[in-house]
This record gives sequence, C-alpha cells and structure tokens, in this order.
Amino acid sequence: MANWVPLWLHRLGSPPVFYRFAGAVRPWALGLAIVLAGVALYGGLFVAPADYQQGDAYRIIFLHVPSAWMSLFIYGAMAVAAFVGLVWRIKIAEVVAMESAPVGAAFTFITLVTGSLWGKPMWGTWWTWDARLTSELVLLFIYLGVIGLYHSFEDRRQGARAASFLVLVGAVNVPIVHFSVNWWNTLHQGSTVRLLGPSHIETSMLWPLLTMMAATKLYYVASLFARVRADLIASEGGKGWVRELLAGRDGDAA
Amino acid sequence: MTPGSTSAACAALLRRDLTLAWRRRGDIAMPVLYALIVATLFPFALGPEPALLARIAGGVVFVTVLLAVLLSLDNLFRADIEDGSMEQLMLAPQPLALLVGMKILAHWITSSLPLIVVAPLLAGMLKLPAPATPVLVFALVLATPLLSLLGAVLVALTAGSRRSGMLLALMLLPLCVPVVIFAAGAVAAAQEGLPWIAPIAWLGAGLAMAVVLAPLACAAALRIAMDT
Repeated sequence: MANWVPLWLHRLGSPPVFYRFAGAVRPWALGLAIVLAGVALYGGLFVAPADYQQGDAYRIIFLHVPSAWMSLFIYGAMAVAAFVGLVWRIKIAEVVAMESAPVGAAFTFITLVTGSLWGKPMWGTWWTWDARLTSELVLLFIYLGVIGLYHSFEDRRQGARAASFLVLVGAVNVPIVHFSVNWWNTLHQGSTVRLLGPSHIETSMLWPLLTMMAATKLYYVASLFARVRADLIASEGGKGWVRELLAGRDGDAA
Repeated sequence: MTPGSTSAACAALLRRDLTLAWRRRGDIAMPVLYALIVATLFPFALGPEPALLARIAGGVVFVTVLLAVLLSLDNLFRADIEDGSMEQLMLAPQPLALLVGMKILAHWITSSLPLIVVAPLLAGMLKLPAPATPVLVFALVLATPLLSLLGAVLVALTAGSRRSGMLLALMLLPLCVPVVIFAAGAVAAAQEGLPWIAPIAWLGAGLAMAVVLAPLACAAALRIAMDT
C-alpha cells in the first residue's frame, strides 16, 4: 500500500540517488528561502511597529530568534543523523550529520553576535555570564569540537563515526549544561524570552518571525544539500558514478 | 586455554598499569608541579591582597586541577595503542568496558590522587579560609574521577587521529562546565557559611552516572577509533 515510502527512503541511502535528489531539491529550497527571507525582512523592518520600550532596536530579533531556534534544531537533526549513521552504518546519514555541523555552528555564531549587538544598547554590555548566553556559547564549542574531530582523521569515514559519537555525547550533555548553568546563574531577563510565546507577541511582529523561521529552515536544507553533494563527490571520487557524472558533464560542455 | 576470570583480569591490568606508572615515578610528579606553577602565577598576575585571593582561591584550584588532569589525559591510552596492547585488550574475552574502567582507575590513582593531596597546599597558598578546605578536598575527590571518566571517553575518540592536544581541550570544555560549576559552587557556599551539600550531591549523582556509563561509552569510542 504505502510501500513506496520505505522503498524510496532505502534508495535515498545510496550516494548517487541522494546526489541527484539533493541537486533537484537544492535550487527550489534556496530560491524559496531567499524569497521568504526577503518577505520576512520587509515585514520585520518596515511593516511591524516599533516596540514601545526598545524602539527600533528590537528588530534584531527577526534574525536573532530564528538563528537561535536553528542552532538547536540543527543539533537535533545532526544527533538523529549521527545515531542513524552509527547504528545502521548508513553512509549518507554520517555525511549529513558531519555537514550539518558547520551550518549549525554558523547559526550559533550569528545568534551570539546578534545577541551581543542587541545587548550593548539594551543591557549596556556586550556579554554577560548569563545562563542562556553561556549555554549557547558551550553549544558553539560542541559544534567546533565536532568539526575539529571530523577533520583530524586521515580516513573520512572513521572521522565521521568518531565525530558522530561525540555528537551523541554532546546531545546528552547539552541539557545537563543548560540546567547546571541555569542553577548557577539565573539573571536572564524573563521578558525577552517570553516575548516568543504566541500570547505575548503582537501579530504584526509574529508573522515576520515565523516567515524568517521557515526561511532559515529552507536555507539549512539548501546549504546542507550543497555541502553533502560536495562531500559525496570528494569521498566517492574513485567510484564509477562520479566518473560517469564528470565525464557526462565534460561531454555536455564539449 | 581457558580464559581467566574477569576479576583476575581486572586486577592484573590494574597491577600492570600501576607498576608501569611506578617505574616512571618522575611522570607522576609532573601534573603536581604543573598545578603548583599555575597556582603560583595567580598571585603574581592579580596582586597579593589576601582578600582577593581568598575570594578566587576555590575556583583557581579547580581550574588548575582541571588543566593538570587534561594534560595528563593525553597519554592515557597512547602507550597501549603504540605498542599494540590495546588491540589485545579488545580481543580479550573479558568485557572491554571493565578493562578500560580499570585503566581509568589506574590513571586516576597516578595522576589525580597526588593533585588532591597537594590541593590543601594550593588552597593555603591562595589564602582559602581553613573551614572551607575540607569541602574543597571532598569536592575534588568527587570531581576528579568524574573528569577522568569524561576525559577518557574523549581521549578514546581521538585515539586514531593525528593531532589531539588542543582538540581534546576543545571537546572537554563543554563536558566539564557542570563539574566546575558544582565543585566551585560547593566551595563558594562553604566559604560564605552556607549549606554546601546540594552541589556536592549533584557531583555525586554525576559521578554515579559516569561510573556506569563512561566505561561503556569509552569502550565503544575505542572500537570506533581503532577500527582501521
């Protein structure tokens, strides 16, 4: 009946099939991401009214908050892919986990930078040892550790397996760090967090935020697929399908 | 040939590692010397006012011990991997997790125990009030095995890689954040005369969990890293 879904997923585990699938999806995801980001930025910067307390400075949340969501969402996606890769030894899952890490690190970095840009006028400081900020910084270190471990091995697959294991260790660790840091220092302003709750936010501010969230998700898909394609070409360089692909491309160009 | 019992194998491995460490007694002193030097640098850098030093003493001792443990972790499995005994341990009929746990225990005895012994001296140099010193030692007794266990998992992961020193520090930092928070928190609470048992209990809970899970994770990581 619905037999084609597992069958299709199973076929997607094959590098050449995934390569073609990613190549077909990527332009659409990227194009849609750019359009949605444009709409969200217009809505956030021009349509939404200024905040009664923070003035125009609050508008940075349209970048900051979706990036913060993505930094955690990508870690979750990476952990699932790492688990699948370690348990069932599916090569594509390992590559997806490893190529998610730089994108996640970039979103985490954007979150920290935009947060500190906002913090300077609002809190009067670039950085404070607050629970939420500290856990986000620790998350960035975990991402960097995963990237570093992946690249420190001669053998790509061995590096991917070791780094996938680190991803799972980190997945256990992130909640522990979050709660211990919370317990250590709870100075964070609650209002800035609760601003995200649907009941506490004006609709004109909410829809650009949600649009930007969709845009960042699509951008992640596009960026991830481009990276996975490059990684597959590099690691499968000796295989027949890559040679055929490159030969075909040369044939087309000639 | 019948395999020996698991407890005999564990005892033999522990005795072997301790003997090897004892034959190179100079290496045991290195982490202690390192911790002494780092702790000595703080009064030079911050100025010798007793009030300031007393305020930071607990945290400085923990960070110093953490760095010394980190340095010594690097050669936890190195010699065994280089001379091939690690492969023998993996092929042994006894569970690898238990054998690795014995190696971690031996490492803790040779590197962290001397640090715990000199910790009161470090704390005294930094003018930590005397009533807080037992709490410091108690927290270290719980925190250092936790650090060794967590670090061993990461060392195992980097076992097959080319460079590991800085990478190990980068990977260990996120894992040791809660340990440092609770251990230093206990000392800070004791210094202010507040009840300090809660952070110690957290440390104990973390240690109980790590004793069970870390050797298993370490064995799995070693199998991944050595699989060539």
